[in-house]
Amino acid sequence: MAASPIADLSYRNYDGPLDPPVNRWWAIAKMSMKLSTKKRGFWVWASMSAYWYLILLAIFYFMDQSAQATTALGQQNPLFKAIEWKGQFINAFSVSQLFMFILALMLGAGTIANDNRANALLVYLSKPCSKLDYVIGKWLGIFIPMTLVVGAPTLVFYFYCLLSYRSYGFVSQDPWLIVRLCGMVLIPGFFHASASLGISSLFQQGRLAGATYAGFYFFGLFFTKAMQVIVSVDNMNAINGNGPGAPTIVKNLYYCSVDGIQEALAKIFLNTDGSPLLPIQGPGGLQRVGIVSQPSGWVFIPAFFAICGLFMLLAWSRIRAVEVVG
Amino acid sequence: MIIASVNNLVVRYGRFTALNGLSCEIPEGCTGLLGPNGAGKTTLLKTILGFVKPTSGTATIMGMDIIEAGTAIRQKVGLMPEQDCHIPGMTAVQFVAYAGELAGMPASQALRRSHEVLDYCGLGEARYRNVETYSTGMKQRIKLAQALVHGPKLLLLDEPTNGLDPAGREDMLELVRSVSHGKGLNVLVSSHLLPDIERVCDRVIVVMKGQLRAQGTIKDLKKIEGRPIDVELREVCPAFVAGMQATGANVMLPKRTTYRIQMAGLPEEAAKVAMQVAKDTGAQIRGFVQAERSLEDAFMDAISTSGPPPVAAADGGNS
Repeated sequence: MAASPIADLSYRNYDGPLDPPVNRWWAIAKMSMKLSTKKRGFWVWASMSAYWYLILLAIFYFMDQSAQATTALGQQNPLFKAIEWKGQFINAFSVSQLFMFILALMLGAGTIANDNRANALLVYLSKPCSKLDYVIGKWLGIFIPMTLVVGAPTLVFYFYCLLSYRSYGFVSQDPWLIVRLCGMVLIPGFFHASASLGISSLFQQGRLAGATYAGFYFFGLFFTKAMQVIVSVDNMNAINGNGPGAPTIVKNLYYCSVDGIQEALAKIFLNTDGSPLLPIQGPGGLQRVGIVSQPSGWVFIPAFFAICGLFMLLAWSRIRAVEVVG
Repeated sequence: MIIASVNNLVVRYGRFTALNGLSCEIPEGCTGLLGPNGAGKTTLLKTILGFVKPTSGTATIMGMDIIEAGTAIRQKVGLMPEQDCHIPGMTAVQFVAYAGELAGMPASQALRRSHEVLDYCGLGEARYRNVETYSTGMKQRIKLAQALVHGPKLLLLDEPTNGLDPAGREDMLELVRSVSHGKGLNVLVSSHLLPDIERVCDRVIVVMKGQLRAQGTIKDLKKIEGRPIDVELREVCPAFVAGMQATGANVMLPKRTTYRIQMAGLPEEAAKVAMQVAKDTGAQIRGFVQAERSLEDAFMDAISTSGPPPVAAADGGNS
């Protein structure tokens, strides 16, 4: 047995193919995604993030059933005719944000922090990988799964509605909705990948990075909710003829949080202010007091990319194979 | 053939100068990088890999400039760092295969090769265990495996026996010696442990305060100036000593019955004279050997000198 070639365990040099030492980021992205999707929690939270679409489908089913009893044969269901379709996507997007944040913590909080703890950068950077490869690879490793998690149910819901509700204005309300949705589904992945990478690079432990990001998130969420209350009160006063409505500055401040800036961009991409949470509530009137109108794209699109860019720059500046003192 | 060449390399960390005009050449084979703690050994390795940018000076690895061809160099070099390093959440086989992919190997080749290298490094049985659960010795081995996976032409080992128990140290030195001899792999071992270096290396570079103090083959470095010979007698023989001194030789007694004889001319001539004196005085010679000092003595001698290395020592390997 020992004389057989299989038992020859002496060192042999590798003389097989080697790709040129460029674009190593894809290997890093692939491995990051592989490790992410191995976690059971990823699938749990990814599934939960789509729950609002299931609720919408259930509501549509009951709307369909109830209308069959009250609507004359051949007539259109009046409940469906009143739906603003883009608003349903915005609502589902908003509802999924907490789950996307949890996913961002799972996928992103430890991505550089854990590498710092384990000195993994020495492994990466001693291979033909540049800092850029590392940052891009890690970023894509968060961005791609998150985009798929947002994109899959959104597109499934889109095509379901396309096949079922064309006669209720699903296409005529906005023929370019599919293009706009493709832009919208990129937002959470883009933002969370950049932010979690930047914050993660500051720490040696994923948990600390996660706690810090969670602190930012929930502080911002509290601020956003406070602004929404002010907007609701001002809008109610306006409806009652007691004022001009919420000032623009308050509406803009509503979008100054992790969730807020993503919602702002989603509204800008879909070109809608949103609609009441339940499609059965109808499009307007008192139902809209809590709805904050879409902000200016000229301010929020550059702000979004500037914030993401700053986080990436932070990550870039913190990545070193060795700690250089002095 | 010269694998790496360093010319007047200066590396500064703020005000601290880690490498101060270091110039040396690393030939094919296994070379030891010796120096006390803080001498600049690790900084040299980091500079070779492009982790640290030199303030001035140049270095080439396999003909490629370290500043211009960083990634190309790193594809042909494997690093086994001093400190523990792994990628969290991976089994050994995943980790090593991933290291191969990072180096540019196709995924299927990297996986095949990782099994091969893990077997070679003695981790075959533990290949599906998470690396984070490994003992210190196993972590040292996996660092070697990830450095070897892509078949580098130059392997940089930074303190490879750090934290190992005697048996683990023995195994690691055996592994290093095995890969560095007759496998087409050139190795630079950085260590302050002289026995380790002496065991696996053919040549050494001695660095102190960021400057070269000596370089050459271990054999040359251990040579004593004046090339004395050690003559082993059956028993202590004062007549032999007197006879040798009468010929003008300088005689010392470093060991119990071994006399160190130093005289002008070649060692062969000294041996002839010693034979004659032994015959005349009735002393029984048990053996002749060209006297050499220990590597520790050579090292202490090299680091105790200040300034550039003595010419003989620096060129010893080329002579």
